[in-house]
Amino acid sequence: MKKLLAILLGITMLFGMAVTGTAEAATGADVKGTGVPLTVYTNSGNSGRKEWLIERAKQDGFELAVLEEGAGAVQQRIIGEAANPIADVVYGLNAIIWNDLISRDLLVSYDAPSWAAEVSEGLNDPNGYYYAIVKQAIVLAYDKNQVSEEDAPTDWTDLWTNEKFFGKYEASGRLTAGTTRNVIAGILSRYSDPNGELGVSDEGWEAIAAYYQHGVPNEEGVDSYAQIANPNSPVLMCQMWSSGVIQYDEMYGTSTGVAKPEVGIPYAVEGIGIINGTKNMEEALRFVEWFGSAQIQGEWAEKFGTMPANEIAAEKADPFQRELCSIPAQNIDWALVAKNIDAWCEKITLEYLP
Amino acid sequence: MTINMRRKKIRITPGKALMFLFFAWFILACLVLPNLNLLKTVFFADGNFSTEPIRKLLKSKRAMKALRNSFILAPTLSITVGFVGITLVLLTEYFDIKGANILRLGYMTTLIYGGITLVSGYKFIYGSSGFLTKLLVQVFPNMNASWFQGYGAVLFVMTFSCTSNHMIFLRNAMRSVDFQTVEAARNMGAGQFYILRRVVLPVLLPSLFAVTILTFITGLSAMSAPMLVGGTEFQTINPMIKTFADTVSSKDLAALLSLVLGFATMLLLFIMTQIEKRGHYMSVSKVKTKIVKQKITNPVLNVLAHVYAYVLFVIYVLPVVLIVLFSFTDSKSIGTRTLTLSSFTLENYKYLLQSLSNYRPFVVSIVYSALAAVIVGVIVVVACRYIQKHKKARSASVLEYSLMIPWLLPTTMIALGLMMAFNVRRPYMFNQVLTGTMVILLIGYVIIKLPFTMRMTKAAFFSLDDALEDASKNLGAGEMYTFRRVIFPVILPTVMAIAALNFNALISDYDMSAFLYHPLNPTLGVQIKSLTNDMNNPNGMALTFVYAVLMMIISAVVLYLVYGRGGRDNMKE
Repeated sequence: MKKLLAILLGITMLFGMAVTGTAEAATGADVKGTGVPLTVYTNSGNSGRKEWLIERAKQDGFELAVLEEGAGAVQQRIIGEAANPIADVVYGLNAIIWNDLISRDLLVSYDAPSWAAEVSEGLNDPNGYYYAIVKQAIVLAYDKNQVSEEDAPTDWTDLWTNEKFFGKYEASGRLTAGTTRNVIAGILSRYSDPNGELGVSDEGWEAIAAYYQHGVPNEEGVDSYAQIANPNSPVLMCQMWSSGVIQYDEMYGTSTGVAKPEVGIPYAVEGIGIINGTKNMEEALRFVEWFGSAQIQGEWAEKFGTMPANEIAAEKADPFQRELCSIPAQNIDWALVAKNIDAWCEKITLEYLP
Repeated sequence: MTINMRRKKIRITPGKALMFLFFAWFILACLVLPNLNLLKTVFFADGNFSTEPIRKLLKSKRAMKALRNSFILAPTLSITVGFVGITLVLLTEYFDIKGANILRLGYMTTLIYGGITLVSGYKFIYGSSGFLTKLLVQVFPNMNASWFQGYGAVLFVMTFSCTSNHMIFLRNAMRSVDFQTVEAARNMGAGQFYILRRVVLPVLLPSLFAVTILTFITGLSAMSAPMLVGGTEFQTINPMIKTFADTVSSKDLAALLSLVLGFATMLLLFIMTQIEKRGHYMSVSKVKTKIVKQKITNPVLNVLAHVYAYVLFVIYVLPVVLIVLFSFTDSKSIGTRTLTLSSFTLENYKYLLQSLSNYRPFVVSIVYSALAAVIVGVIVVVACRYIQKHKKARSASVLEYSLMIPWLLPTTMIALGLMMAFNVRRPYMFNQVLTGTMVILLIGYVIIKLPFTMRMTKAAFFSLDDALEDASKNLGAGEMYTFRRVIFPVILPTVMAIAALNFNALISDYDMSAFLYHPLNPTLGVQIKSLTNDMNNPNGMALTFVYAVLMMIISAVVLYLVYGRGGRDNMKE
């Protein structure tokens, strides 16, 4: 009897090991969590994203505590907690912040998850500190009802070089906001010059000065689209992020057209990274593998209208989104931007804002 | 001073020793060291001090102009707010004005809302597409529609929005004016305005000092009004400080600018404290009787006073009404400032209430704010009692100014200071790591409310009649007993009012919470910010208004519960 029991036990154990074995080999959304609690930081948790993620992850065995904050606050929290990290995983943010965190040694580089190869070219971090999950086009938007496509600017540079756009566009002074920073990066990185002030040539600084000089300052408490829709406001164009366009058009009765510069446009790339100093590395890796998978990112896109960086999941995105995100990406040295953007914004605040 | 100190030696009892230990620890561990630590990382980023930030600021025309504007705004605002504030109190509490109860409610609306929404409310009326402007343009077609912009506009909005403290603390003080003295003066032939100046005003002075300091600080750190109605020609320094404080590598500039404002505040504080020490401003009567409202004898002045009172009422109430109305519309109506019946919707309320159906952030914020308000109250009352008893001692000055330290730095930076100080084991925090715990946010809340609480509570202590304490002591009451049964009941209404104001300010706090909240327990401010900042919800702006109305309701209820009732009890006495 005892022998039989022992054999049975042995078989069960073997079977158990076999099961664990296959689980280890599982990839993408098939990976299951082990219930080790993970703390996740993100700036992309509103509109029910946070609740959905916690619930959806629970179904697959992950136990998540999600902290949701503005991108800047997430960045500062991670920096401030460096000596004793609270978070295990961080997702969302943008290339500027990712590169800043990397330069401060706050992330760990990890082996590419299985889905990394499905991500559009050039969006993942080449050194493996973060992998892209969502992309967001940062565009110069106008209302087609008020400006015809022929009369519209084709590039940001038109705004301050062509007199007919003077005083017709909003130049946002909200320099801590991600969208504004991407716009600034898109403009200043064109004038990169190692000998120039803060890595930018004089011509570049003149350009940014002209951009603010001829623009209309943003108004606190009023959407840029409200300015475009307001007949009493001269503003006809503004900066915009792609995933907001559809809903803004609906609300303001606008029909958004976007400039398609030859050099391309900046993309705010939301990624996923693991915090240097996490005590739950194994589980964090499992979560990354699961969350970035085409399956989960596809569900995410369907539910929240995002544009997945994963090309398989991208098929589930809204067609207009896909069209906006089909504009080629501008070639921007994000590490250089990350190093200088604070100083750039500081200089703009001190010298160029009206 | 030294003679004084020798004469009146402070007796050390075990209780006092404990108290001393607590304050020494609290000031060092929570106020001095974290902030010094932060300033060190900010100014000595690469090991040695650099004058670069100073040079950058001096070179920036924009920064210098903004700084100058702040220093123009603060004193002028102190005068205009002082004038309006005093008249509000006189109109509602001293003179006999018809409908004073309604007027008072109108004047108190600033207690329940503020910031961006308040200024937006004013813009709905006076802004380029505002109601009054549209009306004026019809009458004078040639007028400039964007007339409501610049220094004048900022001063106008802030004059009427910064009278909250007057309506609470000056009103409290007005109640301790002794009617018999007023009567006696009149019997001796004093005119109405002579009495006002020589009998009433002196009683108000300690509170007036205190609220004037607060107004001055509000002027220095003006934010929403210049941003919304300042135009390009009248920008102040605080929006710039905020931008720099929110930027990782520009914190040196934020700290520097903030220190400039902070030291200006301290200087003013110091001067005011010196004046305060010199005089004792109390009513001479020992048996106080409640004031009977005075009819203005001059009929012309009486009519003018009524007109003035009701014009002010309209100025105060209209923005609130418009904010409530616009909260039922969408972002488009708000952005274009058009109010039509067709844009009326309940969707915003439905959406916000649904999103907040998870009531946890409410509970978290209520618990935190209530705890912080109580702790801050206790700390400050104890400190003020000490300062009041040892006015001339150096330790009293040290204590007073130490508790004002949080006025020197912006909230964001205090939060960062705490975060960086307590994410490692510090001997002075009993080797406990605080980041990621629930405690750190509570400490943060307590810290940011210290200076305001301190200043107002001290004023209450200083307007106490010393005779009360002497009488109690002469009757053989012990020190604790005197404090508990004589002094505390007298200052209680003010302490409660301060606690209510602190609670209301903290319940919607974002700046401190953003950095220190526990991942599992977001506060209401954080939750709301996430809802209204939602990039994928274009109706965020309208939600801000709905949220403002929600906060108005909460604030009004809290004020009613704590202050309204406390105020009534006080009146009965």
